Amino acid sequence: MHAKPLLILLVLALGGHARGDQSLESTYRTTGRSVLAAFDAQRQVLQKSSAVIYDGRSEAIYGVVISADGDILTKASELKTIKQLSVTVDDKKFAAAKILAIDEQWDVAHLKIEASGLTPVTYAPTSAVAQGTWVVANGTSTRNQRRALAGIISAKIREIPTAGGGALGVTLKPDAKEVEIAAVTDKSGAKDAGLLPGDVIVALDGKKVATLEALAAMLKDRQAGTTAKLTYRRNQQESTVDVRLMARSEITNEMNGNDAMSGLFSERRSGFPRILQHDILGAKSIVGGPLLDLDGRCLGMNIARANRAESFAIPVEDLKAIAARMLKTPQN
Amino acid sequence: MKHLLPCLLTALLPWGATADAARPYVNDKKAPENRKDLESIQNALTQVLDKARLATVCIELGEGSGSGVLVSEDGLVLTAAHVAGGINKDLTVVLEDGRKFKAVSLGVVADTDAAMVRITDKEKFPCIEIERENTTLLGDWVFALGHSGGYDKQRGSVVRLGRLVRMTENTIQSDCTLIGGDSGGPLFNLQGELIGIHSRVGVWMGIDMHVPIPVFLKNWEGLLKGEFIGEGPFVKKPEKGQGFLGVATEACKDGGLTVTKVGKDTPAAKADLKDGDILLKLNGTVLTTREQLQDLLKEMTEGDPLEFDALRAGQPLTFKLKLGAR
Repeated sequence: MHAKPLLILLVLALGGHARGDQSLESTYRTTGRSVLAAFDAQRQVLQKSSAVIYDGRSEAIYGVVISADGDILTKASELKTIKQLSVTVDDKKFAAAKILAIDEQWDVAHLKIEASGLTPVTYAPTSAVAQGTWVVANGTSTRNQRRALAGIISAKIREIPTAGGGALGVTLKPDAKEVEIAAVTDKSGAKDAGLLPGDVIVALDGKKVATLEALAAMLKDRQAGTTAKLTYRRNQQESTVDVRLMARSEITNEMNGNDAMSGLFSERRSGFPRILQHDILGAKSIVGGPLLDLDGRCLGMNIARANRAESFAIPVEDLKAIAARMLKTPQN
Repeated sequence: MKHLLPCLLTALLPWGATADAARPYVNDKKAPENRKDLESIQNALTQVLDKARLATVCIELGEGSGSGVLVSEDGLVLTAAHVAGGINKDLTVVLEDGRKFKAVSLGVVADTDAAMVRITDKEKFPCIEIERENTTLLGDWVFALGHSGGYDKQRGSVVRLGRLVRMTENTIQSDCTLIGGDSGGPLFNLQGELIGIHSRVGVWMGIDMHVPIPVFLKNWEGLLKGEFIGEGPFVKKPEKGQGFLGVATEACKDGGLTVTKVGKDTPAAKADLKDGDILLKLNGTVLTTREQLQDLLKEMTEGDPLEFDALRAGQPLTFKLKLGAR
């Protein structure tokens, strides 16, 4: 469907209060202090079991503490952009943090800090909770204090297909007889795989590629974060490399009207096998941390802020499987 | 109008039964204080959500997509004026389960962004109650539904929770976060009663505006009759003389007007008018001269309905069509 979604964006500031206006003090609004004070029990869980990941002095993303010994899961694509990494759990700062593994499909990274005696999250028994159920996640933090933001489960659990299919990160020569690369995009899977302009793509996952259209059709249904085996020809030599596929939107920075009114959103916000959707009105950095229920149990991990009205979390069942894989322990 | 059914009486006199659910006590607290307070909000919401969602629809008009809400079993939908796009527009209404129905826009209140739409297909539709007693107050917990970004069957409509943060006569503001595609969708109190229709958002997060239901109730009869109320800015008032039919005619010596030419892809061509047809009456007025037909059309505009009594090869025929845009 290509319908243009309708909503009027007010560009002008709202004028002064007209006579007879009633307005609710900000402390009593959904993101206000007085309301969020009711979520102190869940905030205390975030204090112990979420990590704040800094780039230099600024808060970049959050993480989920999954072991007492310093294993943390976070959003991989955001983590990769951090230049000066440090991690805070509770009121302790860890200057050294290592990236041990990355799950490209779910966009999850396994981060390790030298710690012991941490409090890992307690997993909720199921992510199949009713829509309208309260959920709590990290809000902007201070060095020593976590803050909570609250919202509700707001839509069905579902797959978010890759927007526009998987992309290699190459521009192809138009009207060429073969599928020849004209340019390679920076920070793309193609660049990392060492592809160069002039290389001729001959096969994808062993299947012959004869035309641009054939290649596009093969990539259309592929997920971002998965890997494709690309066979190419350079100087009469054929070679095969693994190329990490990206979401088309990551490469082209496509913006639509809804993005324009959304403030910051996650670059990687599609191509997830399953997500829980909630309405917590957080900053872009809401991603990476745990999504808690009122019992303080982990319902999932925030993985994308899709737009101002829709945030996605990896459901607890999938999160547990990812955590188990990453910790290399049998799944319970 | 053709589609007035007996059960429309409930829509004409919109003072039906009130909802059963009671106003949750937590609304009278400045802020929830504990787990019990939070659960009272959650329980109220989850109890009324399914019914509210069944009545929430997606409205498609040409290239645009918005939302709306069914308020009568026979298919009366409330939405925003900028979603309806004007009066007498052909629309498609999509229910939560994906079923699509033909609809037409009735009246609009152009200066407050209110509109009414009628589904023309016959069916018994799920619908919700309207809040009629103004018992919803500033600070009350409310929820928004809508087809954010357009209809998505796998996702369904999206629910968001918030509070009423500002109220004026023509606008209520909540902190339920809206986005494109939500326009025209419903805002409910925790009793599951409709209190507003989504209209617009501020540039900052947490500023989301709705048309209050009293605006609809005050203009109910005019909306139902398909009147264009107010001057804008949410929808542009159609100007007289901007309608387009697409035929050339000349007076016929036996009375009426003979069609001498039908333009390709015009409203006339789509209604199957052909060269040689004789137009006898337009909306009941006997036609005598070409100039008279032009004068009648000059008083109308795009979207206005036309009904021609005509003759083709001596046989009486009726053509129904809508004026197109010039």
